[in-house]
Parts: sequence; structure tokens; C-alpha cells
Amino acid sequence: MSGTKYANAVAAVRAMESSLLTHNDIDQLIASRSLSEYSSALASKDRANDTLEAVWEMLRGYAPEDKELEILLYRSDFHNLKAALKAVISGREPEHYFIKPTNLDLSALTEAIRSKDYERLPEYMQKTAAEAYELLTRTLDGQLSDSLIDTAALNAMQEAAQKHGGSFMQQYAELTTMYADMKTAYRCALMKKPRSFIETAICGSPELDKDDLVRAALEGTDGLFAYLENTQYGDIAKLLRDDPAQFEKQCDDAIIELAETARMQAFGVEPLAAYYIAKEAEIKDLRIISVCKESGTDNETITERMRRLYV
Amino acid sequence: MSNMGLVLAIFGAALAALLAGIGSAKGVGLVGEAAAGVVSVDPSKFSKVLILQLLPGTQGLYGLLTAILMLSRIGVIGGNAAELTTAQGWMFFVAALPIAVVGLISAIFQGRTAAAGVGITAKKPEHNGKGIIMAAMVETYAILALLVSILLIYNIAI
Repeated sequence: MSGTKYANAVAAVRAMESSLLTHNDIDQLIASRSLSEYSSALASKDRANDTLEAVWEMLRGYAPEDKELEILLYRSDFHNLKAALKAVISGREPEHYFIKPTNLDLSALTEAIRSKDYERLPEYMQKTAAEAYELLTRTLDGQLSDSLIDTAALNAMQEAAQKHGGSFMQQYAELTTMYADMKTAYRCALMKKPRSFIETAICGSPELDKDDLVRAALEGTDGLFAYLENTQYGDIAKLLRDDPAQFEKQCDDAIIELAETARMQAFGVEPLAAYYIAKEAEIKDLRIISVCKESGTDNETITERMRRLYV
Repeated sequence: MSNMGLVLAIFGAALAALLAGIGSAKGVGLVGEAAAGVVSVDPSKFSKVLILQLLPGTQGLYGLLTAILMLSRIGVIGGNAAELTTAQGWMFFVAALPIAVVGLISAIFQGRTAAAGVGITAKKPEHNGKGIIMAAMVETYAILALLVSILLIYNIAI
């Protein structure tokens, strides 16, 4: 019976979705007068899986071998590769710099970098690990090596989504790449980076062509925005220039909007991925509220920064 | 083969029970999977999802009913099997087809609909009834097929 994959997991996720924070919950948390009041208000909420690691563990329990779901963690995997490379080369322990959840066995990652035995790594990062190690040891340019790895992460996401994923995951990879490319192009234009750097740092996607974006970034910020304004992302590009915090919010909201398309599906991996994305946004919101409460930011500003909710 | 008619009629009865039963097993199994997912998170929803799980099970019962009626009509159940011509045997065989085929397909699709209904129960338990109604709509076609099979069985001249 095709098309009924993960019936069990999707039903469980639907049950868990009822414990996602609602707009009212978020408003109540924002209205807290202090960090301690916020903490006790949050503790009173009945939340399932309050860390991303717990969410991931739960999803993997239902879909242990799903290659499509793994794509959600590719950026964390490549971040961990950056951390391991820098730590190993500078003779430090990388554990403190790793982020979780990840698809990688982190001790195996460190060992693979130390021994330069890249075949111990997943196939999608073997070549990048070798190139980044060589680049970092040769140039000691951390920024260049980071750019190489970030671009490789986005490429790997798009390739894996084409290979293993359906249209949901392909759109996820393309959106993620497109927004990352816009930010990178803007930073490169601001810092007047040379063509060779920009070509390494920009990945390219069906939404925004790599060559066009590189050419526009080389013309400076005015040239870049003139190019972006002629694409369908003109409005969001204006935010990148005028209000970077709102730009970040728009990027996250676009991903949540994509996740919302899976709300109507009773089967398949999409509702599982959507739940992970929803929890990611929820945790990000809570982090923003917590930091803002600590720094005494006014409630109106906090509300403006809140990500779109999945529920 | 002198009792070919009886063989065909019995084959028809077996097919009704078999295909409709397979459909129900698949449908009930699928809803059971979804229901277990919900119950693993919220055991208090067990009774609500159980109703949805039962729905695709009815086709199997319709297949069983058709088989019993047919076996009774041709005298196999009473131990006094009728002498059927090959043509009569084919008629009984064809009479079993509506519930056999529609039972199989409708049970699978009802299972899918009910499994989706489990999602409604999981997220909005107060709208559980809507999920049941949607799944029950698929039942209509199994009932119509059962009706046609029964009408045919009782109107074949022996």
C-alpha cells in the first residue's frame, strides 16, 4: 500500500503538535515582567520535547533510516566539521564547539580529521573535509575555509534533496540556500570581497542564479540590490539592507510557511520534518524572549522579532 | 466435470470472504498504526481512535455475510449441496464479485481516510466526529456492493 508511509509517526507528531506553544502562550511569555517570571511561566507550560535533541531522537525513533529527514541537520553537520577542523588544527578539544543534534558521530569526526581519514565521514562531506583542511593549513584563512564549508553544506543539502527527497525537502533546501546566498552576497558586497572569494562563498540555487549573484555582489551593495529588486525577492532584499533582524525573521517565516504545507498530510516524512522545523522556530522564539528579558528589551520589540508559529 | 457449477459458486463465496477480508485487514492495520502513534503520546485518546480503527473492518464482515448467504443458498451449509450447471455456477461467482472487489478497495481507502481522521483526533479531539463521518462516507460503496451481491444471490434461479 504505497503512500501511507509513517502513519504511526505522523499520528504521534499530530498529538505532540497540540503541545506546541500558541500565540497566546507566546504573548503571555512576552508579558512576563522579569526573566524569573518568564522562566516560571514557561515551566508551567505542558511542552513535549523541549530540546531539539529530544525532538530529533523522537523522530529518528520513528524513521531511523530516513535519508530525507537527515537533510534537516546537514548545516549542523557542516558546522561541526568547521569546529572539528579549527580545533584539531589549533590543538584544542572541539567538544565545546559542537552543536547537536547532528547526523555525525562527533568523536569519529574528530578522529577522522586528526588522522585525515576522511572516508570515515559521511560521503556528502568527505571531499569538503579534505579541501577545507588543506585550505586552512595552507592559508590559515578561517573565513575562506568557513565559506567553502558553508557553500558545501548548501550544495550537499540540494543534492541530497534531489536524490532522496520529495518536493517539500527540495523546496526547503532551495529556500535555505537562497536566503543564505542573499546574506553572503550582501556581506561580500559590503566588505568588497574579490571575485574568487565570492565564487567560493555563494552556492547558487534555482531561485537565484550563482553567476548573476556573484556579478551583482562585485558591483557593490547598490548593484546587488538593483539586481535583487528585479527578482521576486525584491521586498525581502530591502529588509536585508534596512532591517537585518527583520530579514532573519522573514527567512525563518518563509521556512515555517513551507512547513505549514505539510499540515494537511496524513502520511509521509513531510509532517515529521515540519514538526522539527516548528520546534526549531519555537525554541528560537524562546531564546529571543529569554535574551530580551535578560537585557530589558521592551515587549513591543520582542513581539516584532517573534517568528511565525506553526500552530 | 459434472459439479463445475458448484465449484464456481464456492470459489465465488471464498473470493468474497477473501478479498473483502484482505482489504479490511489492511485498512484496520493502517489505522491501528496511526492510532498506536497517538496513544503512545496520549493514552486517553484510545477510545476515540478505536472507533476509527473499527470502521474499515466492516468490509470483512460483509464478505463473510455474502459467503454465508451464498453457501446457504446453494445448500453447502445445510449439507445438501444443490446440483448447479456451469452457467449457474458462473452466475454465483459473478454475484460475489461486487462485494469482493469493492470490499477490498473500499476497505483500503477507508483505512487511509480513517488514519487521516486519527490525525484530527490527535490534534483536535473535539472534532473527532468529523473524522468518523469522513471515513464512514467510504462505507456507502461497500454497502451498495453488498446489496447488489445479495440481490444477485437471491435472484439466481436454481
